Amino acid sequence: MRASRPLWVFLIPLVPLVQIRVDGLLERPEPRDEILYLRTGRQLKRLVPGFEYLLADVYWLRTVQYFGRERLFSKDQRYELLHPLIEITTDLDPRLRIAYKYGAIFLCERRPVGKGDPEAGIRILEKGVRNLPRDWRLRQDLGYFRYLFLGDAKGGAAVLLEAARLPGAAFWLASLAETMLDKSADRGTAREIWRRTYEQEEEGFLKDNALDNLRRLDALDAVESLNAAVERFRKRQGRPPRDSRELAADPPEGGRLADPTGVPFAYDPQEGRFAIARESRLWRGGK
Amino acid sequence: MGASGLTRILAVASNTYRETVRERVLYNLVVFAFLMTLSGLLLSELSIREDEKIVKDVGLAAMDIFGTLIALFIGVGLVSKEIDRRSLHPLLSRPLRRRELLLGKFAGLGFTLLVNLGAMTAGLYLTLFATGRGPEPQLLKAVYGLYLGLLLVVALALLFSTLTSSVLAAVCTFSLVVAGRFSDVIRGMQDVIPGAPTWLVRLLYFAVPNFRNFDFKAQVVYGDPVPWAGLAWVTLYAAAYGAVALSLAEAALRHKDLP
Repeated sequence: MRASRPLWVFLIPLVPLVQIRVDGLLERPEPRDEILYLRTGRQLKRLVPGFEYLLADVYWLRTVQYFGRERLFSKDQRYELLHPLIEITTDLDPRLRIAYKYGAIFLCERRPVGKGDPEAGIRILEKGVRNLPRDWRLRQDLGYFRYLFLGDAKGGAAVLLEAARLPGAAFWLASLAETMLDKSADRGTAREIWRRTYEQEEEGFLKDNALDNLRRLDALDAVESLNAAVERFRKRQGRPPRDSRELAADPPEGGRLADPTGVPFAYDPQEGRFAIARESRLWRGGK
Repeated sequence: MGASGLTRILAVASNTYRETVRERVLYNLVVFAFLMTLSGLLLSELSIREDEKIVKDVGLAAMDIFGTLIALFIGVGLVSKEIDRRSLHPLLSRPLRRRELLLGKFAGLGFTLLVNLGAMTAGLYLTLFATGRGPEPQLLKAVYGLYLGLLLVVALALLFSTLTSSVLAAVCTFSLVVAGRFSDVIRGMQDVIPGAPTWLVRLLYFAVPNFRNFDFKAQVVYGDPVPWAGLAWVTLYAAAYGAVALSLAEAALRHKDLP
C-alpha cells in the first residue's frame, strides 16, 4: 500500500484535467423542455402508497421552481406545465392549502406575472373548496378571483356569502359581497379586495402581488386622467401632444407621469394614448 | 414458558442486539435517514410557506423507508445466517427451544429498531427545533405506528429467513411489505377486475399484512386526532399478525433438518 501512495497523488489531479478536456471536446446539448411523464396525481398516488404526502411536497417544490424559472428566465413564459403540476400536487395531497392558494394566483395573473389562464386558476380554487369545505379563506379567494379575473360579480358575491357563513369567517365578507354586487365594474371594489388581501397575507409573494395590484389600480387611475388631459389637449390644438412635456400646459389631476414604482408611463404620440410601460412590474399583458 | 424461558429469550435478544448494532448496513441506513431528515430543512427553504409540514413529511418518510430497510436487511439474516454458518446447530443443542430462539431474535432486532427510531425521532425534533418549532408530542403517535409496522416487517423477515436463503427471503419480505401497502387496492380489486370472486378478494385482503394500518403520518402532520382506541386496535393487529408469522417460522424451523 505504501508503494501505491504516490500513484494516487498523481491520479487525483488527473481527474479534473481529463474532465476539462472532455468538456472542451464534447458539446453539451441544450436542456430540452421539461416533461411530465405522469399527468395525473391519481396514477401517481397509486404508485407510492404511504408516501403521497412526501411526493406532494416534492411536486409542490417542483411547481414553485418551475413557476419561478419560467417567470424569471423563460423568453416566452408559456407556463405549460404549471396547471398539470398544481393538479398533481393537489391530487396527491388534497389538503395542501398553499397549492390551491398560490397555484390559483400563478395561473390567474396575466403575463408576465402569471400564466393568464383565470379559468384554470378558478378550477383549482373550486377543487380546493371541494376538498377543504370548512376553509373560509379559500372560499373567499374563490369569490375574489371570480370577480377580479372573470369579472363575475354575481358568482363572486355568492361565494363570498357562502364563505361568510363558515365558522371563523371575517365579519366584513357579507358587506363586501354586497359592494361587489352594487358596483360590479367599479375599480374601488377591486381596490378593496386587494387591500384586504394585502392586510391578510404574511410577507411574501401574495402580499407583494396584492401591493402590486393596488399600485396598478393607482397607475390605471393616473393613466385615465392623463388620457383625459390628452383629449382636452386634442380638442384645443386639433392634434394630440407630441410628448408628455406638451401636457405641462394642461396638467392632469395629480399630475403624475410615472407609475407608483417610478417607471414613466409609455406614451404613443400617434394614438395620443398613455399606458403603463412594458418595463414596469405593474404592466400586464394578455393571455 | 417459565422464568428460565424468559431468561433465555432475553439472553438471545441481548446477543442479537449486540450482533445487529455491529452491522455496517445499519449505520449506513441511519446516516441516510438523518441526511434525509436534515434535507427537509433545505427543501422547506425552497418552498413557499408550509416549511413545518415539509420537514415533518420528509422526517417521517425517512423513518419509514430506512426503518423498513433496516428491519428487512438485518431481519432476513437473523436465522438464515445462523443456518448457513451452521451456528444454529450448537445453539439448539443447548436447552433452548426454537420458539425462544425466534422470540429472542425478534426482541433483539425489535430493540435495535427502537433505539434507531428513537435516534431518528430525536433528529426530527431537532430539525423542527431548528426551524423554530416547539415540541410536538402528537408526532410520537405516528412514530409508534411506524414502529409497529417495522416489528411486523421483522416477524415476516424471520419467517422467510427460516424458509429460504437470505436473498430470497429479502425478496419475499419486500414483496409482501409492498403488497401490504397496497391493501386498499386489493380491497377494491373488483373495481378493476369486476369478475374477481368476492371470497378471493376478501381472502387476499385479510391474508396480506395491512401496512396501511400503521400509517398515521398524514393525520399527525395535519394535526388531525389519532384516537388511542385506534392505536390500541392497530397494536393488537400487529401482535396477532406477528404472532402468526413467528409461529409459522417456528413450525418451519422445526421441520428443518436440525438437531
